[in-house]
Amino acid sequence: MSSLDMSSFGYILAAIFLPLFPASMLFNWLFFRIGNVWLRSGLLLVWPQLGLWLLAAVTEEPPVGLIYWGVLTAGLYAFRACALRDFRLWTAHMATSSWALLWLAAAVNEGGYEVNLQAAAFSAPFVLLAWFIFRIESSFGAAYAGAVGGLALTVPRLAGVLVMTVLAAVATPLFPGFFVLLQTITQALMVVPGAAVMVLGVWLLWAWAGTRILQGLVFGPASSEPGADLAGVTTGLLGSVLLVLVIAGIAFAEGLA
Amino acid sequence: MKSLVLLILLLPLAAALLTQLIAPRFRQTSVRISIVGSVATFIVAAALLTLALRGEPTRVIQFGANWGELLFDPLGSLMAFVVSGISLIVHVYSVRYMRDEPGYPRFFVLLDLMTAALLLMVIAGDLITLLIAWHLIGVLLYFLLGHDASSHAAHRYASWTLLTYRFGDLPLVIAAVLLYQAFDTWSLQAIFAQLTQAPDKLTLFELPLAETVAALVALSAFARSAQFLLHTWLPYSMSGPTPVSALMHAGIVNAGGFLINRFAPLFVNTDGVLHWVFIVGLVTAVIGSVLMLAQNDIKKALGYSTMGQMGFMIMECGVGAFSLAIYHLIAHGLFKGTLFLGAGGVIGEARQDDGVPKDDLYTFVVEREPAKRRQPWLPMAIMTLVVPVTILVLAHWLVAQDFFQKQGAIVLLFFGWVTGAQLIFSTYRMRTQNIWRLMGLILFSFTIVVLGYAMISHAFDLFLYPDPVFRTSIDAAAGIDIIWFDALVILMALVVVLGWLITYAAEQHRQYWGAKLGAIWRSFYTLVAREFFVIDAYARLSDGLLSIARRLNVLLRWS
Repeated sequence: MSSLDMSSFGYILAAIFLPLFPASMLFNWLFFRIGNVWLRSGLLLVWPQLGLWLLAAVTEEPPVGLIYWGVLTAGLYAFRACALRDFRLWTAHMATSSWALLWLAAAVNEGGYEVNLQAAAFSAPFVLLAWFIFRIESSFGAAYAGAVGGLALTVPRLAGVLVMTVLAAVATPLFPGFFVLLQTITQALMVVPGAAVMVLGVWLLWAWAGTRILQGLVFGPASSEPGADLAGVTTGLLGSVLLVLVIAGIAFAEGLA
Repeated sequence: MKSLVLLILLLPLAAALLTQLIAPRFRQTSVRISIVGSVATFIVAAALLTLALRGEPTRVIQFGANWGELLFDPLGSLMAFVVSGISLIVHVYSVRYMRDEPGYPRFFVLLDLMTAALLLMVIAGDLITLLIAWHLIGVLLYFLLGHDASSHAAHRYASWTLLTYRFGDLPLVIAAVLLYQAFDTWSLQAIFAQLTQAPDKLTLFELPLAETVAALVALSAFARSAQFLLHTWLPYSMSGPTPVSALMHAGIVNAGGFLINRFAPLFVNTDGVLHWVFIVGLVTAVIGSVLMLAQNDIKKALGYSTMGQMGFMIMECGVGAFSLAIYHLIAHGLFKGTLFLGAGGVIGEARQDDGVPKDDLYTFVVEREPAKRRQPWLPMAIMTLVVPVTILVLAHWLVAQDFFQKQGAIVLLFFGWVTGAQLIFSTYRMRTQNIWRLMGLILFSFTIVVLGYAMISHAFDLFLYPDPVFRTSIDAAAGIDIIWFDALVILMALVVVLGWLITYAAEQHRQYWGAKLGAIWRSFYTLVAREFFVIDAYARLSDGLLSIARRLNVLLRWS
C-alpha cells in the first residue's frame, strides 16, 4: 500500500474516533444504545484518545481541509444539540462537537501529550454527565427535558451539581474546557484564522445548547414526582471532582502560550 | 498594598463559601456572614481608593507565572469602591426583600460571587484574568436573573442575556489573542508599554493592530452595555428579583464604559474607531430614550432609560471624554439603583398618597391656574436658545479655559444645550401665570447641575488620567479634521436653532401642525411601541434556527 493510501486510511479511521461528519454518526449511534453507565463513561474517555493515537500514527500533517471539516462538524453537532431534549443524545452530540475540535488542536499543537490532556479535559465533564443520565433515568424513567423538569425544586443537590457539570461541558471558566479553547484559539488564530474564528461560533452554540437543556431539565415548575436527592457524601464527592477540574483548568492556564 | 488588593477579592469569595457551608443549618446567620463580608469588602475598597487619592503609584501584583496579575491604579480603585458600595446596598436591601423567597442563602452566595467577579474585572492586570472575570459575570448574572427556579420566563430572559453576553465575550477573546500574538505577553501594562513604542504594528491580514483590537474591544463593550441591536436583553431582564435589577442597572451594565477606559492606552493609538463608538452610542442614546417614552410599564421604562444612558456613556467615550463616562456610569448607577430599589415602595405608597409635599412649590407647579395668555413665542424661542448655551459655556470656561479647543467637549455641549432648551420650552408649554418665577427655578437648578457636572468631571479627568499629554492624545484620537468639525458645528447649530423655532411655531399653531403630522406621528408611534420590531426579528431568527436544527436531527436520525 502506498504512503498516500496509508495516510488516507489512517485519516478515515481517525475520523471515526475524532469524529468528523458523517463518520461521527457511529459514536452517537453507539452511545445512545449502550445502557451500561461504566461502558458509556469508558467510551467517553477512550474514544478521542484512540483518535489521537491514530492521528499520531499518520506521520503527515493533516490537510487544512480536514481541520476545517473538524470545526464544521463541531459546529453542526453544537447546532443540533440546541434542539435536543433527550439528555443522552445531548451529551453525545456535545462530546462529538468538542472532540471534532481536536483536529485543529492537534494541528496547531507542538507535539507531546498536551493534546491528549486537552481531549481528557473535554471528556471529563461528559463522563460526569453520563453518570447523571444514569441517575436521572433510574429515578425518573427518562432523562428528557420537559418530561423531567424542575429538578432544582425536586432534587436540589442533584440539580446544583448537574448545573455545574453542564457549565464545565460548555467551557465556562475556570473549567479546563475554557482554557483548552483559549489555547487552541491562541495557537490557531495566526495560522488558520478562519478556523479559529469558527471555533468562537461553536463556543457560542455550546452556550445556547447548555442553557436550553438546563431550562428544560433543571428550571421551571416541577413536572414529575420528587425522586431521591443525592446523599451529602455523593454531593461532596461530585463537588470534589468538579474542584479537581477547576484546579486542572488553572494548571492549563499556566501553560497558555 | 498587596494584601489589600488580595483581600478585596478574597473577602466576597470567603463570604460566599461560608454562607454556602452554614446555610443548611443556620439560614439567617449565613446571610449575616454575607453582609459582614460585604461591609468588610467596602471598607477595604475605601482604603484602596484613599491610597489612590493620596497619589500612590500604579502597581502590578503578580500571583502566577503567565497570568493572575492584579492591578492597583486610580481606575481600578475607583471602580472597586463603586462596585463594593452598590453591592453592599443591594445586600442590605435583599435581607428583608428576599427573606420569604426560596433559595434565600443561595441568592446571597450568588451576590457575593458576582461582587467578586466584578471586583476581579476592575482590578484585572492581565488579559486572561480579565477574560475569566468578563465571562463569569455573564454566567453569574444568568443565575441571578433566573433565581426563581420555577419560572420558565425568568430563565428564558436570563438565557437571552447570557447569549448576548457570550456574543460580546468572543470579540474580547480575539482581541486578547491578537495582543498576545503581537507582544508575547498577557500583561496589560506590558502590552500598553510596548504598544506606545510601536503604535503602527500590524496584525492578521496586515490590518493595523491598534484599530483592529480597539474595534473588537468596543464590540465587547457594546454587548455588555446594551447598545442598539445588542440591547434586547436589557428591558426584558426585569423578571429577575428587584435587587438583581438594581445591581445590573447600577453596576454590571456599566462594564462597557469601564472596558473602554481600561483600554484607553490602546484607543489613543487609533484613528477612526472612536468615531464609530460615538455613532453607536448616539444611535443607542436616541433610540433608548424614544423607546423609554413609549413604555407603560415602569420597570421596562427604567430598562430603556438605562439603554439610553448607556448610549450616552458610550458616546462620551466616542468623543474622548473617557473620564466623564466613568463619572456618568457612577452617577447613573447611583440614581438608577435608587429608582429600582425604591420602585416597589413608591408604587405602594403612591396608592395611598402621592407623597408630594403640599407646600408653596407644589401649589405653584401642580395646582396652578393656567395663564390666559402665553408669552410671545419668538422672544421665548430666542431665550430658549441663548440662555442654556451661555450658562454651559460660562460653567465650562470657569473649569477649564482651553475648553473650546476640545472637540469632544463642544459635541457634549450641544447635548447640554438641547437639554437646557427643553427645560425652558417646558416653561412655555406649562402656561404658568408667573413664568419668570418658574424659569428662575429651572435656570437655578440647571446652573447648579451644569457647574457640578463640569467641576466633578474635570476632577475625574485629573484623577484618572493625570498625565496631560495622555489627555491630549485621547482628544486627538477622538477628533476629526478641524474644517469638517467646524462645518458640522455650524450645521448642528443651524439644525438646533431651526428645530426649536419650528417647535415653538408648531406649539403656537397646534391645530394646523397636528392635522398635518398626525398620521406620520401615529405610524412612528406604532413602530416605537413594537420596539422597532427588533425583538420580533430575533425571536423569528431563533425559532427558525431551532426549526432547522430539529429538521437536521430528524434527517440524520439523531446520530
